Amino acid sequence: MRLLYINNDGGGFADYVQVSEGTTVEQFFKDKMQGSKPDDFLIRVNRQPVPRECVLKEGDRITITPTKIEGAEI
Amino acid sequence: MEDKNLVRTADKIQEALIRLKHGRYLELMRQLTTFAGQLQELTTQSRKMGASLANGWFSAAERCCKGVSTQLSDIPHSVSRIRQLTDAPQKEIPKLSSLVDELNQVQEEFGSLELDNAESTMSVITEPITLDDVYLGPFRVQLELKKFSELYTASPYHVIALSPNPAATDETVTHPHVSNDKLCEGDGCVTIRTALEQGRLFDFFTMVRSILNTYNPDSPYVALIDWSGEPCYDCGYVASRDDTYYCSYCEHDYCSECSTYCRCCDESCCVGCSEQCPHCEDHVCMNCMKECTECNSLYCSSCLEENVCPNCKEEMEKDNEDQECKISETNQNGNPSQPETSEAEIKLAS
Repeated sequence: MRLLYINNDGGGFADYVQVSEGTTVEQFFKDKMQGSKPDDFLIRVNRQPVPRECVLKEGDRITITPTKIEGAEI
Repeated sequence: MEDKNLVRTADKIQEALIRLKHGRYLELMRQLTTFAGQLQELTTQSRKMGASLANGWFSAAERCCKGVSTQLSDIPHSVSRIRQLTDAPQKEIPKLSSLVDELNQVQEEFGSLELDNAESTMSVITEPITLDDVYLGPFRVQLELKKFSELYTASPYHVIALSPNPAATDETVTHPHVSNDKLCEGDGCVTIRTALEQGRLFDFFTMVRSILNTYNPDSPYVALIDWSGEPCYDCGYVASRDDTYYCSYCEHDYCSECSTYCRCCDESCCVGCSEQCPHCEDHVCMNCMKECTECNSLYCSSCLEENVCPNCKEEMEKDNEDQECKISETNQNGNPSQPETSEAEIKLAS
C-alpha cells in the first residue's frame, strides 16, 4: 500500500512510499529511522498522535519530526 | 480561532505560497544571470589571453590569469545556489482544505494560534524554555506572510522572547541560538525552508520549537556557561568569561580595563596587584619587582643588573671612574724618575 511519508530529519523530504499491509507505526519507524529512538521524535499519522501499535492504512500521511534539532551561530 | 477566520488565514497563506513560487523562479533567474555573466567574463579573459600571447605581452597574460582565477572562485558558489533552487522538486501549492488542516493542527499542538490581520502575521507561543538550568522563558514564533516570498534571501519569521532573560554580555541574544529575534537554524535550516515552501506550517512551528528546546554548545551566540557573565571584582562590569582575566595574587576575576599583565613574565594580574617600575615605568607583577641591594628601592627585574638598579649602577660606575682617576694622579705625582723642572730653575741653569 502507498502512504505519504514526511521526514523532517536531516535534509528532510516528503514523498510517497510503499509499505506492506499490516505495518504498524513502530515497525515503520524502525524501518525508516534505523538507529533512532522513537522518543526523540514527534510522530503523527493523519495529523494526529497515535500509539506505536497503530496499523497504517492505504493513503495515510505519516510525519516524523525530531524533537531536538541543533541550532548554530551564523 | 473561528472556522471563517481559519479559512481566511489559509487563503492568505495560499496567496503567500503562490508569491513564494514566483519568488523562487525570480531568484533562479537572478542567479542564472549572474552565472551567465561569470561565463561571459571567462570568454572575455580567454580572448584577451589569446591577444596577449600573440603579441608576447606576458604581463597582460598574467593579469588575465588573475581575472580567470577570480571568476573560478566565484563560480562554485553560483552553481551551488542554482542547484539548490533547481534540484528541490517543486510541489503543488497545497489546497485550501489542507492549509486549514495545518492551522487546526498548529492550534491543537500549541494551544492557540494568533493572527494579526493588519500585519499579516501568524504566531504561536512556546512553553517556557529552560536549557542547562538557565531559564529563557517562553518565545513567540511569528511568521510574517508578507515576507514569505523572500524566503530564499531572508528569514520570514521572528523568534521573540516574551520574558527575556538575555545573555549578560549581549542584550540582543535571548537564546543561545537567537540573536536580534532571528533564529540560527543550524541543522534545521533545509527542513524548515522545505516545510515553509510546501505550506507545512505545523512542521515549521514544531521544528522551530525543537531548535529552541535544544542547546548546541559547539556553536552558540553566547554559551550557556557564560550566560550570566563574570562581574569584574573591581568595577563590577559584567563581561563574558573570555573577556575576564584572573589575578593569581588576589585570586579574583577582572575586566580588561581593570587588569594588566606583567611586562617581565607576561602573567595577567589586576592593576592593584601590579606596580610601576620607577625606571622603565612598565607595569610588572609583585613577583617581578625586586629590591636594589644598594638603595633598597623596588625595580622590575629587567631593569636590575646584578640586583643593582640603573641609578645605583651609574653612581657606582661614576665612583669607580673617580677612584681610577685619583689612583692614576697619585701614581703620576709619586714617580721620582721624572722630576718637574720649573722655568726659573731652567733660567738659572742657563
